[in-house]
Amino acid sequence: MKTLKDNSLSLVFGLLLLITLAAQALVGLADYNEQAEIAGLAEIDLARYITSSSFMVDVAENWQSEYLQFTLYILLTVWLVQRGSSESKPPEDAGFGDDEQERYGEFAQPDSPAPARAGGWWGGLYSWSLTVVMAVIFLLSWGAQAVTGRVAFNEERFRDLLDPFTLGEYLQHPDFWNRTLQNWQSELLAVGSMVIFAVFLRQRGSPESKEVGVPHEETPK
Amino acid sequence: MTLAKVIFACYALFIVLVLAAAFVIGASGR
Repeated sequence: MKTLKDNSLSLVFGLLLLITLAAQALVGLADYNEQAEIAGLAEIDLARYITSSSFMVDVAENWQSEYLQFTLYILLTVWLVQRGSSESKPPEDAGFGDDEQERYGEFAQPDSPAPARAGGWWGGLYSWSLTVVMAVIFLLSWGAQAVTGRVAFNEERFRDLLDPFTLGEYLQHPDFWNRTLQNWQSELLAVGSMVIFAVFLRQRGSPESKEVGVPHEETPK
Repeated sequence: MTLAKVIFACYALFIVLVLAAAFVIGASGR
């Protein structure tokens, strides 16, 4: 039980993800079939829908914006700060920090991750691994959105007896950018407001918040 | 840390598989 409790955050989020994705597939299918009926086209089943570009573009466009948000947040909080926010380092700590603070190289502990103890190119790469992985997932998700979005968009054009777009044409089309930007703006609002709300508002017991009695101008270490 | 490593691998695998599927589905014009 202790092992489950120790991992409850990632387990519960994973479970909620699977439930939500299944629900998205079911309501997405209902919506798709309603549109098909209106257009006088054949309905499809769940297996066909979850392997369709219509479903995949809806998944990918949200994924890319989430991973962009985290990539930007991880990277920009190295240098940018918000005094008083639990989402920020103290202003005097802005920047990469020295090896002693990072417990890197000669300052690594015996149980530090192997690349942190080794240093060199391996340690350097590991020092950036979180940003690199999040950025790669962002770029791949955005690419997946483009590839599947084109097919889904062409299907709509086909219903209207219009010629299909190539990928290059689709990447310049407002549909691609509308899907992209409507997700980016919401992520940026959520992050920006969280950063500043965390200065003045509290959630007792949450590591995402300062302790209730911490003064507004105090930035937690 | 064993369960944590399993969860890490599950998340990573899920992301890789879904993205790979998306590219295959999109490229095949489904």
